[in-house]
Amino acid sequence: MIGFLVRRILGAALVVGGVVILVFMLIHFTPGDPVQVMLGESATPADQAALRHALGLDRPLPVQLVAYFDNLAHLRLGTSLYSQQPIATILARRIPATAELAGAAALVAVLLAFPLGVIAAVHKDTGWDYGSMGFALLGVSIPNFWMGPLLILCFSVWLGWFPVSGREGFASLVLPAVTLGTAMAAILSRMVRSSLLEVLGEDYVRTARAKGLSERRVILHHGLRNALLPVITMLGLQLGTLLGGAVITELVFSWPGVGQLLIDAIHRRDYPVVQACVLLISVTYVVVNMLTDFVYAWVDPRVRAAGRGA
Amino acid sequence: MGRAVWPAAALSALLWLGGCTPGTPAARAAAPVPLRFALAQAPITLDPRYATDAVSSRIDRLLYRSLVRFDAAARPVPELAHWRELSPTRWRFRLGMRGRRFQDGERLTSADVRATYESILDPATGSPLRDTLVRVAGIRHIETPNPDTVVFVLAHPNALLPGYLTVGILPARLIAAGHHFDHAPVGSGPFAFVAWPEQNRLILRRRRDGQVFDFLTVRGPTVRVLKLLRGEVDMLQNNLPPELVRYLARRPGIRVERRPGTNVTYLGFNLRDPVTGRLAVRRAIAHAIDRRTIIRYMLGGAARPANSILPPGHWAGDPDLHGYAYDPALARRLLRAAGFGPGHPVHITYKTSSDPSSVRLATLIQYELGRVGIGVRVQSYDWGTFYGDIKAGRFQMYSLSWVGIKSPDIFRYAFYSKSIPPLGANRGHFDSPVADRLIDAAGASQNLAVKARDYRALQVYLLKELPYLPLWFEGQVFAARNDIRGYHLAPDGNYDGLETTRRVAAPAAAAGGRP
Repeated sequence: MIGFLVRRILGAALVVGGVVILVFMLIHFTPGDPVQVMLGESATPADQAALRHALGLDRPLPVQLVAYFDNLAHLRLGTSLYSQQPIATILARRIPATAELAGAAALVAVLLAFPLGVIAAVHKDTGWDYGSMGFALLGVSIPNFWMGPLLILCFSVWLGWFPVSGREGFASLVLPAVTLGTAMAAILSRMVRSSLLEVLGEDYVRTARAKGLSERRVILHHGLRNALLPVITMLGLQLGTLLGGAVITELVFSWPGVGQLLIDAIHRRDYPVVQACVLLISVTYVVVNMLTDFVYAWVDPRVRAAGRGA
Repeated sequence: MGRAVWPAAALSALLWLGGCTPGTPAARAAAPVPLRFALAQAPITLDPRYATDAVSSRIDRLLYRSLVRFDAAARPVPELAHWRELSPTRWRFRLGMRGRRFQDGERLTSADVRATYESILDPATGSPLRDTLVRVAGIRHIETPNPDTVVFVLAHPNALLPGYLTVGILPARLIAAGHHFDHAPVGSGPFAFVAWPEQNRLILRRRRDGQVFDFLTVRGPTVRVLKLLRGEVDMLQNNLPPELVRYLARRPGIRVERRPGTNVTYLGFNLRDPVTGRLAVRRAIAHAIDRRTIIRYMLGGAARPANSILPPGHWAGDPDLHGYAYDPALARRLLRAAGFGPGHPVHITYKTSSDPSSVRLATLIQYELGRVGIGVRVQSYDWGTFYGDIKAGRFQMYSLSWVGIKSPDIFRYAFYSKSIPPLGANRGHFDSPVADRLIDAAGASQNLAVKARDYRALQVYLLKELPYLPLWFEGQVFAARNDIRGYHLAPDGNYDGLETTRRVAAPAAAAGGRP
């Protein structure tokens, strides 16, 4: 198990390193000059050169890359070109909002997806199945920019149960979490259904039934537990995406998360902020997937064994 | 832990997360009822030395006082100081009694004024205002003979100097200490900073009566309107499509106010391009666009046609300018006379940002130009790419707006032959000895009346030559719940009206409601 963990961590570190280099290069080869962004289009060449020197942007690219790695190692992410605030401070204000929304959306998704998926699998080809999967299809088909305003109109404006937007307490979290979670639940519930259907046809399930176990126990203990593996993978991937910032939902609900910050920074050509956001999203994705692998290995000993054999 | 405990633990964690966010219901109940103002964009910085976007500048006006502000005709008027021109290159500013106390209780003196401007002039600060103050305004150095007097010494005479001294004044000792004004501003303005707990929420306190204001950023115009209807915000200003303005105007419990604005929308042309560089083509375009119909239907009447980038009410503006009438037949004739026709059609690429209203405008103009035989290909880009292309001169035709123009020096910045980027904003490479001479003459004069005359002559010439086609001055719109009173809309869209805004009834009495 320890060997498995070490291999995964080393692999993740390599991926993160690659992402850092890629992001750095992409930003530097993208048209646009951060110095001109800071000083305005009419700054004199002398002023531009002075600021470029002060920022270290006149040094060779490899030297800048090494300096960038050194800064990252010391958790120095730089300063926003526009607001002049340290990027670490800006991110520190955004990450809790994004984590909060991602966690709540994942919870909504799990709470919806498992019952729907199990009902659909157990009552295959019945009205329950079609109803559950129809709901799932609806969830995945309605885009968030439409679902969000629809929920606002219904639950905020007509019924007055939740705030329209913003981040002020638990009530304001419900609608964005449902908007995001419903789409995620749609994908997960289909996964639960197909995985459970496959497992329910296995010999050991027939054996469990032959032993006289109750159907509930057969499904939950022998079926669902074994059907979880692909669902965990999918959940991990989805959670990684959510933690990277759900841009549309954040925009609709004025949720002050990382996604909205990234979009703003791209519009303004605030390169250091774009760089930090992309890096954060990549690292989050890699870490969440690594954790998913650990959970996967913990749940299924065959994965660990395969890892040893590889 | 038993199985049943997991859902409860998850729910508790969720409730805890929700409860940890700023402004919980309990906290709100204990705090005084704030007035909530919805913004379409959050301010980027609260340090006036770096503010270049409209929202930051408008918030900074509330937090800081400057030496000078502008009246309705964009004439500089005293705010912190009265001034006197000692010589063409020496200007004395004497601080008055008003607005001399910073938020932290310290008194504002000439040393603070000097420190503020010197920090902007210092290249190490990286202020985007430096170039204007050094090169255009001509500030060489600043003297402070006593705590109430500041003398600006210029490198060249500039009769418009006071109009450049509108930067909010910061405390000198905090500048020296490297204080972060961007997120902890300390000014002597009518409002004091309270907190900026999230990018989407800024809290200020009105100093005269302690009234708290929440500035909430809500991007989507529809969501902003729904929040107003629900009573989650008390007021909002601009950035609404006309259909939403009309919708709001019909809602009970909501009051909508409009007034003419000064921000001008225009079409810019690349004069080095073989097609848009031809005057006949530019004039044909001017005659082909039905501005009054666009204003009426697309903008809901909330604009007035423009014939110059300066509004007619500006001290150097020209109310007697006559623009190009809508005349598609004349447009076709002009194109034919220039050698264009079915065998030699005109094709123009029109660049714009991806903002929905800009794209809508581009589509309309595409249709109108198509009717006179000008084929238009619309290319919309995200703001950064679009603006980068415009600055680099990679365009044939584009639309943009000038926001908050006060000084007629804008003509030198935008139309002088030597103001090609990066030395200015002459992005279309307009190169006219006549325009240069008029700009030089207006700049050299120390008499404002003479300056105004020269600038009016220049505007007549620019309208004839059409390096820009001015389209309209956008109107200002303000919507508020009925219990909000005392807000005065400014022509340039500033938020100064909040100094007198008040709630006349308890929020519970205000109309809620189903739209």
